[in-house]
Amino acid sequence: MDRRDRFRHNILTSGHSACSGCGEAMASRMVTDLIGPDAIYIGATGCLQVFSSHNQRSAWQAPWMHSVFSNAAAVAAGVEASLQARGKKIPVVVQAGDGGTFDIGLQCLSGMIERGHNVLFVCYDNEAYMNTGVQRSGSTPHAVRTSTSPPGRVSEGKHHVKKDLISIIAAHHMPYAATATVAYFPDLKAKVEKALSIDGPKFLQILSPCPLGWNHDAALSVQVSRLAVETGLFPLVELEHGEVSRVMRLSTQKPVEDYLKLQGRFLHLFNDKQGKTQIRHIQALADTRIRRYGLLDADTNWTSASASIVQRGGRGTYLPVVPAGMSDHNAKAQG
Amino acid sequence: MSKLSIDPGSSVTNLTGSWRTQTPVMKNKWPPCGQTCPASEDIQAWLALASESQWQAAWRKLTARNPLPAVMGRVCYHPCESACNRKHLDSAVNIHAMEYFLGEMALANGWQHQKLNDNENNATGGKKIAVVGAGPAGLSCAYQLALRGYAVTIFDAAEEAGGTLWSGIPEYRLPKNILKQEIEAILKLGVTLVLNCTIGDIHGNAPHPHKRISTESLITDYDAIFLGIGALKPRLFQNSQYTDQHVLTGMDFLRRVNQGEELSLPKRVAVIGGGNTAIDVARCLRRLDCDVTVVCAQDPHGAHLAHPGAEIPASELEVTQAQREGVEIIYRTAVSRLVYSGKHLNGVETCRVDKIHDRHGNFNPVLFEGTETFIAANLVIFAIGQEVDWCGLERLIDSGLSKVFIGGDAAGNPRFAATAIGSGFENAMSIIDYLSGQKPYFDTHKKAEVTYKNLNLSYYAQSHRQTENAGEKENSGFVDTISLNESTACKEALRCLSCGVCFYCDNCWHFCPDAAIIKQADNYTIDYDFCKGCGICAQECPCGYIDMHTVLHE
Amino acid sequence: MRKLLEGSRAVAEAVRLCEPQVIAAYPITPQTHIIEHLAQFVADAELHAEFINAESEFGAISIVQGAVAAGSRAFTASASQGLLLMTEVLFNIAGMRLPVVMVCANRAVSAPINIFCDHQDSMSVRDAGWIQLYVETNQEAMDSIVQAYYIAEHCELPVMLCMDGFLLTHTFEPVELLDQDTVKSYLPTFTFNRMLSPDQPHTLGAGSEPENYLEYRYAQHQAMDKSATIVTAAGDKFAAAFGRSYGLLDCYFSQDVETVFVTLGSAMGVVRDVVDTLRAQGESVGAVRLRCFRPFPAEALLAKLEKSCRVIVLEKAFSCGASGIVATELRAALQLAGVSLLVHGYICGLGGRDLTCKVVENIYQQSLAGPIAQRHGFAGINVTSSEGGG
Repeated sequence: MDRRDRFRHNILTSGHSACSGCGEAMASRMVTDLIGPDAIYIGATGCLQVFSSHNQRSAWQAPWMHSVFSNAAAVAAGVEASLQARGKKIPVVVQAGDGGTFDIGLQCLSGMIERGHNVLFVCYDNEAYMNTGVQRSGSTPHAVRTSTSPPGRVSEGKHHVKKDLISIIAAHHMPYAATATVAYFPDLKAKVEKALSIDGPKFLQILSPCPLGWNHDAALSVQVSRLAVETGLFPLVELEHGEVSRVMRLSTQKPVEDYLKLQGRFLHLFNDKQGKTQIRHIQALADTRIRRYGLLDADTNWTSASASIVQRGGRGTYLPVVPAGMSDHNAKAQG
Repeated sequence: MSKLSIDPGSSVTNLTGSWRTQTPVMKNKWPPCGQTCPASEDIQAWLALASESQWQAAWRKLTARNPLPAVMGRVCYHPCESACNRKHLDSAVNIHAMEYFLGEMALANGWQHQKLNDNENNATGGKKIAVVGAGPAGLSCAYQLALRGYAVTIFDAAEEAGGTLWSGIPEYRLPKNILKQEIEAILKLGVTLVLNCTIGDIHGNAPHPHKRISTESLITDYDAIFLGIGALKPRLFQNSQYTDQHVLTGMDFLRRVNQGEELSLPKRVAVIGGGNTAIDVARCLRRLDCDVTVVCAQDPHGAHLAHPGAEIPASELEVTQAQREGVEIIYRTAVSRLVYSGKHLNGVETCRVDKIHDRHGNFNPVLFEGTETFIAANLVIFAIGQEVDWCGLERLIDSGLSKVFIGGDAAGNPRFAATAIGSGFENAMSIIDYLSGQKPYFDTHKKAEVTYKNLNLSYYAQSHRQTENAGEKENSGFVDTISLNESTACKEALRCLSCGVCFYCDNCWHFCPDAAIIKQADNYTIDYDFCKGCGICAQECPCGYIDMHTVLHE
Repeated sequence: MRKLLEGSRAVAEAVRLCEPQVIAAYPITPQTHIIEHLAQFVADAELHAEFINAESEFGAISIVQGAVAAGSRAFTASASQGLLLMTEVLFNIAGMRLPVVMVCANRAVSAPINIFCDHQDSMSVRDAGWIQLYVETNQEAMDSIVQAYYIAEHCELPVMLCMDGFLLTHTFEPVELLDQDTVKSYLPTFTFNRMLSPDQPHTLGAGSEPENYLEYRYAQHQAMDKSATIVTAAGDKFAAAFGRSYGLLDCYFSQDVETVFVTLGSAMGVVRDVVDTLRAQGESVGAVRLRCFRPFPAEALLAKLEKSCRVIVLEKAFSCGASGIVATELRAALQLAGVSLLVHGYICGLGGRDLTCKVVENIYQQSLAGPIAQRHGFAGINVTSSEGGG
């Protein structure tokens, strides 16, 4: 076991082969360290699965199994059933990309939710099939360049709008579905903890910037995720049993250009008149989402500013780590 | 690992640090507030302690370099605030009000300075130091030496200690009892204070009753001598002596007012000069119900951004407050002659100024003929600069004695109390080096290494600067200051961005995608075996503690 | 105690006695009765298991992967389209060496869509790394479920039990019921030392590179080879406990005869009748049923055939563009062993086409005349309704 850090488990530890600056690695590390080693993690095929278990070297310090691409929710349901049958209470957590969630994974996910399994399904949304070389997915936003939706003489990039998955999930009237992103750790932490407190199916969609596929500087992964939220393009919302229960209010609304110009996948929009029209379209999409969820006037003190503030000693941490030399089993016995 | 076994190995055998083309380096840096502080206070450090309501610890940290916080919080021109990076977010941290608050709290609670060592092993070798001048430079020097176990005696010609702090700064700006209490705290370290005593060999204009000690006996009796005698010789208009009661020097006026003398003043007074002394004089006069015009050779603040030497030297805050109190300021103007009718002063004739400094850089205004303007005044006070009065001390400075050290205004430093305090500290260290043969350890910091561009302001909430009540005191029309309280002081200290100094916010640790940042009990370390050099830690560090360095491949 | 049970019911009863903790179900004809019986058992608390109605067969087999990996004995069943939909996960389970047991209620595959029995479905996934057993009767189906768990859990390889759709699943036969206690003593409590548990965190299904994939497949292949012994041992142990014995093969007058029929599944019943008839006429003929198709029991089979001079393979699947599957594997085994033996391959019963005694007898007569002209014959084919020509 890698025990370099006394303050977090590093469930997903070093040596994995994610790209430098990977938003998904960052998000998964946050989520799994918040949940801890006493859980069973099922990984759908995708970037996270590949880079964390590459060439027979595993970066997982908790029980983890690769399902295949589309069936992570079903495999997790099987694990949960086994635990249920044996009276064991251990969280079962799926980690999938937008590929394994929005499109090919949707069938199994819907079945798992419909049957009410006690499973937390986490989708790390990097808005394309990244692992196979940046092909578009149902999650890819409008006008984005991907290898299967390239801009060209008669194309503006991906024609269709990003699938509103969180609404689809919420339409199951399931206990808890929420969106989050890496830039706001206290918000993500609260949502993971809320999810774990619920018995039944729960779903988290975490926007995870991809320096390679979104074509931005590796150092800007957090900045890009912050702007996705501050422009209104990625609302941070919580839905319970189909109804919006809480949103994170935006302290200010930034124009979408601030977000788009940092990423090469939108570069083609800045070249010509057609592109400018698309930028206006994207702005309209952002405005619509803001209006729909009331992101500028929600009656809450939970804002993009309040969620960002740092303080001496940090804002929230992970589950306590068992002291070195004590086996996990003994530690549990000691309470 | 056997190829036929089914369990995979661990990824920690894959040292992804080899991927790096840039490397993060964590290093505490010296923020701009500390760099601009003439006393080199570790402002960030004491604000951090204050933000946790550790008041005494904060005071100790502050007084490591400056023993007069209650004084300086009131009178310092706070360059730290001009440099404060917080101004790029909303407004600078109210450092001077914090300093003032801590100073007052120390006095209220009777906190004592603690010696750094008690000279148990006689490390000081029983050496004695004489400090000439009980102004900020001398007090600072004596304090630093006393902290380190040395025997110090301070001599001052005046009746009270404090130097220009006592004689030159009016009560409304610096209450005398505050100054006295902070000096007492220094003396409690075992420093001897001898007042009403001049060091010197010839007769100067010494007040009475008076002791005089020759330079020779000083050299004999003391192992080191620090001269913090200030610059107390006022420059005189056209080098004339002021023989009538209509013309005074600013220093003289202030000294007399501060000593409580009842002056009979006419309604209209002209004050010549643009320094803090001139403004102090003007504000005093307003409180004594006079109509005041300040005639200043320089331009207003902000007129010469590239060349601040051409702007009014008094601090902006003082100038603004003076104007709010009704002081009229005329810029780029100098006095050409005094206008009398008989023995009665009617006013001053002024002219527009062309150049302010001559080609040697000396203050030497050139007046434009034909621009003469009359300003009515029955009293003119010249506050046009001061020089050092070495009279009687030639023996100490001419022969280049190695045991003589000079600091503060006397050493030609910029004329600020804070600079004097800093000078006192530096000289104390030099004295220790001279006496013990060993350079004492102390932090030296040169250029500020963290600008606001190194910060990530997304992580700080905007908040209003907690101000001492800078509004008008009831009915008086004058601007006075009221201290912060514990709650507002804590809030204000929390506004410090901690530029360049890690405050353990956990950002880098949360964000590293590769578990290459390890959290320890009170810091973070980087595991370079795995760091891929993405740069996220440096980008998201709010305070600029982490930088990316390019990796050079051989 | 003997009872007249539909094949599906017999299987469900056996599954119940093995006490799986998780059952994943998605219906497809002709497997539906199996899962319906199991649902009723669970509903009546006669079986304490988590019964999960999956959203597809793909979901069902995935649930089973999860359940077994987490340390529970599990069960699912499918056929035809559903089995093919599971394909990806079948390979995944075998590659991860998970001891899964499932039933394939053999059915033809689309297109054209057809619900009736043949072996194209399970034969199509023969490369997935599952042990495959083909049963002849409802009794054998029932008995083989119990053995399947034993085999899977001892080999750490998944086992697919293949039973003819409709011909067994929907047919009532008298069966000797199994006794719970005996089943319990035959089949120990399921333990799996690589199970997903926080107590001992394992990674299952890590990625592989060219440097190590071959070795993994080799290890799997070796395990498969060794599993033949365990199939036999499971059968012997079953005989000791229940009195009925099973092995890799099921032989009927196959020793030292001139002609041997080789077949799988319930077709053996028809072949037995034909052998009886022919032998009464003085023909030197017998039959061998391949009970275990994967691993391919070359050694055992060759031992039965070496004294014969011709083999007639009757199989219900073929590899389109090549030849009959069993026939091809048998020919290869013979060639490797240096045994020269004429193999007549016949594809029969596709899409549920009835295999009659008459057709089998004709085939026998044809085989005596000499080798068939083509690579394989299509038994009972009506040439005017086909494209014409082989």
